[in-house]
Amino acid sequence: MTHAEIHQKLTPIFRDVFDDPAIEIKDTMTAKDVPGWDSLTYVNLIVAVEKAFAVSFTTKEVKSLVNVGALIELLAKRTA
Amino acid sequence: MLKNDRSELDYGQLVKKARRLAPMSDPRFKLAILADVSTQHLVPLLRVLFAGHGVNVEIYEAGFDTVEVEALNPQSALYTFAPQAIVILQSVVKLKSGFYNDVGNRCSFVQTRSESIETVWKAIRARTPATILQSTFVLPYERAHGNFGRLLEGDFSGVVAEINREICLRARRNASVLVNDIDHIAGWVGRRKFLDEKLWGLAKSLCAFEFLPDVAQNIVDITLASIGRSVKCVVLDLDNTLWGGVVGDDGLEGIKLGDLDEDGSFRFFQLYLRELSARGIILAVCSKNNDAVAREVFRKHPGMVLKEEHIAVFIANWDDKATNIRRIRETLNIGFDSMVFLDDNPFERNLVRQLIPDIVVPELPEDPALYVRAISELNLFETASQSTLDSGRTALYREQQQRTEESQKFVTLEDYLQSLKTTACCQKFEPATLGRIAQLIQRSNQFNLTTRRYSEAECQEMMRDAERIFPFTISVQDRFGDFGLINVVILRLHRNERRLEIDTFLMSCRVLQRGVEQLAMNRIFELAAKEKFQSVTGRYIPTPKNAMVKSFFEQFGFRRVASSDDGTTEWQLETEQYGPRKVFIDFNGC
Repeated sequence: MTHAEIHQKLTPIFRDVFDDPAIEIKDTMTAKDVPGWDSLTYVNLIVAVEKAFAVSFTTKEVKSLVNVGALIELLAKRTA
Repeated sequence: MLKNDRSELDYGQLVKKARRLAPMSDPRFKLAILADVSTQHLVPLLRVLFAGHGVNVEIYEAGFDTVEVEALNPQSALYTFAPQAIVILQSVVKLKSGFYNDVGNRCSFVQTRSESIETVWKAIRARTPATILQSTFVLPYERAHGNFGRLLEGDFSGVVAEINREICLRARRNASVLVNDIDHIAGWVGRRKFLDEKLWGLAKSLCAFEFLPDVAQNIVDITLASIGRSVKCVVLDLDNTLWGGVVGDDGLEGIKLGDLDEDGSFRFFQLYLRELSARGIILAVCSKNNDAVAREVFRKHPGMVLKEEHIAVFIANWDDKATNIRRIRETLNIGFDSMVFLDDNPFERNLVRQLIPDIVVPELPEDPALYVRAISELNLFETASQSTLDSGRTALYREQQQRTEESQKFVTLEDYLQSLKTTACCQKFEPATLGRIAQLIQRSNQFNLTTRRYSEAECQEMMRDAERIFPFTISVQDRFGDFGLINVVILRLHRNERRLEIDTFLMSCRVLQRGVEQLAMNRIFELAAKEKFQSVTGRYIPTPKNAMVKSFFEQFGFRRVASSDDGTTEWQLETEQYGPRKVFIDFNGC
């Protein structure tokens, strides 16, 4: 999948998990930028992303994601 | 939300619903959770599921892994909160690390761990009467010895199973301690999916998120039962629910209810319902039928497991079902929310759902083989007490005693047969059993001396010709279960020759070596003696499948009087020469 495709597919997942229909995701986005993004919702996000993209991340990958761009990067690699 | 509808248990959907949960009015139900797993993902699910049952729950979450601290400290926030129920949730992962690090004390591991769990209950009980919901541990997948571990004392999987057993045994001795059987849920959905190491690492989650709703629902089920909200009555449709077919159209003989009809599905379903009845669930019938026709099935059909005595209220008429269910409710004087309605017909289900919103109406699958599964999936019959607790305890002791005795028994085959407590019922052909008889005649290949495939109509004909034909069947059951009708014998009475001919002798292979054929032969010679027949004759016609009965007549002392090229042999034995065979079967009938 291309970055754009992933971006498009991720948006509704973010809106769903963080319960905000107006969220626009950006590569540089981190927990600080999204109200309600804490360790609890982060795991919900990861589980939802894994399910939607039918992939499974390693624990190390989950812990090393620094921003949304890194998540898209990882998904691009996995769905290539 | 439809009550107990497992399809509603989607993690993502429930989390969203929890966010939008409208505030509820008091009174609140106060629930505390002590856990060595994280509870943050579970709590929203509990809120929304409790709300679905109209319960406004207030939840206290103790800090991560503070089970003992909270329970043992009289000043802890747990006791200040004053909960009505306390959920103790523990993970096998924690237990595992304890086990692996405790190399020196493996033999006492089960006892010390069970002891410390019980200590927590006792500490709680000293300070509050709150109901305690103790989780079981999910059996681990590691098997250091493979299957052989089952034979070893210190194998971790076996240790976990033993601790679970200890939890149950100890819970029986402690008032208001109920078991939250997480291992059952894990087993049901599959342990390899339930356990999720990554989520344990990331979030100390008990299991994969997709199964947290099942865990939450289980807690809700048990809690509701503990406050008296449980199912008390099951209302049953008849046609195509308790038996296959429509008795009004198909008649008593036409309905499918035998051991082999629909693979015995309806029979299994009835056994399950009888079990519910025995445990105190009231059964009621609500059927669109003529009352006499419906009752006749309960009275006369040999395949019926449920009898009229199991049915508290029996309504068969042509009124609509909602009206009839209201009548049942009035008679029993219970709430609609403690009633379950089971009907194969989607139209009736929807009608009842709409007119009586509180009653639980599960979807039933089209295939009756799946009825018990579909109902079990809903965990409708949760209960927090058993009124016959004392007799239950007596039964436990009795069981244990029986096992001890049993292990010393079975020195000989005779002893074993005797221990089975087999009973048999011998009957002449009857309208209600004709279907099963014809089926057995069509299907039996191995234990079948002549393989004559009589049709149902021919069998019916035989019933009318008592002067020349004596057709009978044997049904068998033992203390482990009911085999149903498994033996068919057709005798021809050659009165002028004073000879009794065994035209057909066949048996289901499920009951070999049990003495049934000996019993049948005894009956045959009793009849011969009674009717003053001089001899009994029979024939073995070989087929590719019936070699097992080649020596059948020989074994009873018959002598061969003729044999032909195709292998057919003819046999004869004088009535007075036959010595009755010893059988270990309690017998009644024709």
